[in-house]
Amino acid sequence: MLNLLEQHPELAASITCNPVVYDFLQNSLTDGLWYWNLLQPAEGWVNAAFWQTLGYAPDQVPADPAAWRACIDPTDLAAAWQRAEACAQDSSQEFDLVLRCTHHEGSSAWLRCRGVVLRGNGSSTPWLMGALFDVTKEKYKEASAQEVATHYSSILSNQSVYIVKTDPQGNYTYVNDFFYERFGCERDIIGTSSLLSIVEEDRPKCLEVVIQCFQAPEVPHQVILRKPYRDGSVKSNHWEFKGILGEGGKLTEILCVGYDVTLLLENLQRAQHLLDVTSQQNIRLQNFAYIISHNIRSHSANLTSLVQLLSEAKGKEQKTMFMQMLATSTEQLADTIVNLNDIVTINNNVSKPKASRALKAEIDKTLDALSVLIRQHHITVEVAVPPALTVTVVPAYLDSILLNLISNAVKYRALDRPAFIRLQAQATPEGVVLTVADNGLGIDTVRYRAKLFGMYKTFHDNEDARGVGLFITKNQVEAMQGTISVDSEVGVGSTFTIQFHENP
Amino acid sequence: MSHLAYVIENDHITAVVTELVLRKNLRRGEVQHFANGKVAFNQLLLKAKENAGIPDLILLDLNMPVMDGWEFLDAFMKLPIAKQVCVFVLTSSIHPDDREKAKRYNIVKGFFSKPLDENSVAWMQQFVQLAGASTRAKRLYTAQ
Repeated sequence: MLNLLEQHPELAASITCNPVVYDFLQNSLTDGLWYWNLLQPAEGWVNAAFWQTLGYAPDQVPADPAAWRACIDPTDLAAAWQRAEACAQDSSQEFDLVLRCTHHEGSSAWLRCRGVVLRGNGSSTPWLMGALFDVTKEKYKEASAQEVATHYSSILSNQSVYIVKTDPQGNYTYVNDFFYERFGCERDIIGTSSLLSIVEEDRPKCLEVVIQCFQAPEVPHQVILRKPYRDGSVKSNHWEFKGILGEGGKLTEILCVGYDVTLLLENLQRAQHLLDVTSQQNIRLQNFAYIISHNIRSHSANLTSLVQLLSEAKGKEQKTMFMQMLATSTEQLADTIVNLNDIVTINNNVSKPKASRALKAEIDKTLDALSVLIRQHHITVEVAVPPALTVTVVPAYLDSILLNLISNAVKYRALDRPAFIRLQAQATPEGVVLTVADNGLGIDTVRYRAKLFGMYKTFHDNEDARGVGLFITKNQVEAMQGTISVDSEVGVGSTFTIQFHENP
Repeated sequence: MSHLAYVIENDHITAVVTELVLRKNLRRGEVQHFANGKVAFNQLLLKAKENAGIPDLILLDLNMPVMDGWEFLDAFMKLPIAKQVCVFVLTSSIHPDDREKAKRYNIVKGFFSKPLDENSVAWMQQFVQLAGASTRAKRLYTAQ
């Protein structure tokens, strides 16, 4: 195909010879023309359109023919020179760059320059013919777009919020820097499953919220999920999931915004624990107040009545009887006060010093003290406790606990079959666990579970049962932050399990 | 007519004292003592079968071994006894829960703190007489 000028030779002639055509072309196609001597960089020429583009009125155009140089940024000009030289060497190279210029008002203007190196025939001077286009507006638009992008990316990457997107299958499609820093590890997490990154127990919870996102898209759904942090610790994050609908109303992605609530949850748990401890203590205190009042009152009631009866008594025999009852009553009152004092002492000495004791040695000591009774009743005692096993305890409490449990096992032994007592202990991660098992009378734990460790509760028709032993034992175990539980069946036997608290 | 009273109390001295006060103040009364709820219940079971010798009033302690006051009340209510028996709780407990719990039992007509005194006995006696009258009235009504 022939090109335009070949087809219309008169147009080619007009362009070269007719100044009207030439001016029209140079002023309407470009924002300026530049003609530069490639042997003498100081020598060059710009047209009026150039000056107009830079805001110079026709009468303001500088008289100096080299004034254009001052308007172009020296660095850009040097770059243009290098580029032009490259083009002069190799005609396949393109000359196309942006020059920063100074507008008449002092602001920056950007002119895109597309050029062609014109060589004269033979060795004559090469010139650069440059067509200039004002790209200032585009430059500003680009800068402001860049600024907006930076602004948003700084929001997305800011220091405290995780922003994550997943596809409808739950695979990551976007994570912000903050999330990546904390949970990204070394590998690229884009495309991997977000569900699998959550601790296993929380996955059903996560799925449930995802289902909600499908059912009610474009609405936030909240959930707290745990996720392993890059250092191996587990962090709790509060998330807001939102299903985003694409064209056609189908859910195309899930947007998740989250923040770390680990500290918050830990504090909440700590506060809850504190509350539990305090309310437990409160219940114990209140119960204790009722117990004290009940026990002291029952004796004082007897004393009041007996004094009344004594004053009205007829005959020596009656008087002696009442006097005897008075004596018994005062003794019982004294005993009660001693018991109560024991309990108050346990509850008060929370910070009693603990010491390490070999459990086996302490058990042997207690068995020694009870040896007469044990032999007398032909009770078989088995001790399966490693001699090296130690417990950190208030020594006096351990003595009392062992004495109480073992003497209970003796007291409530089986009468119709050979009796035994088995003591076993082993170390567990939570601390040492000691069990004291017997095949004795047993306790109906279904009926008595709530009362078992209560004060003044007795479960067998036993004359010397005071009903304080297990109450004191429980208090002593708990004062050392341990726990005690029982498993028992009437006619089969009882097993008491004590979990000692590990930390000293 | 004579009234029969049960005293269910595990503390020996309290039982003796309560019996004495009852005997002295209850007109034409007979008093029987039981060391805990179980013993008393066994006796009542026997008497219910015989349909004779059922007490008019029961003084019931709450804290007792083997079978305590509450367990006794639960078991007692299931006994097939037509006669109206007035149960009075006599305890050293000042726990508000105990008083509230006692109110939930229809057969419990009063909640008394130890020691038992003359006024309390007089009050119980009135109740027992009313109950006796109502039982007689009921019997009369059924007979007609």
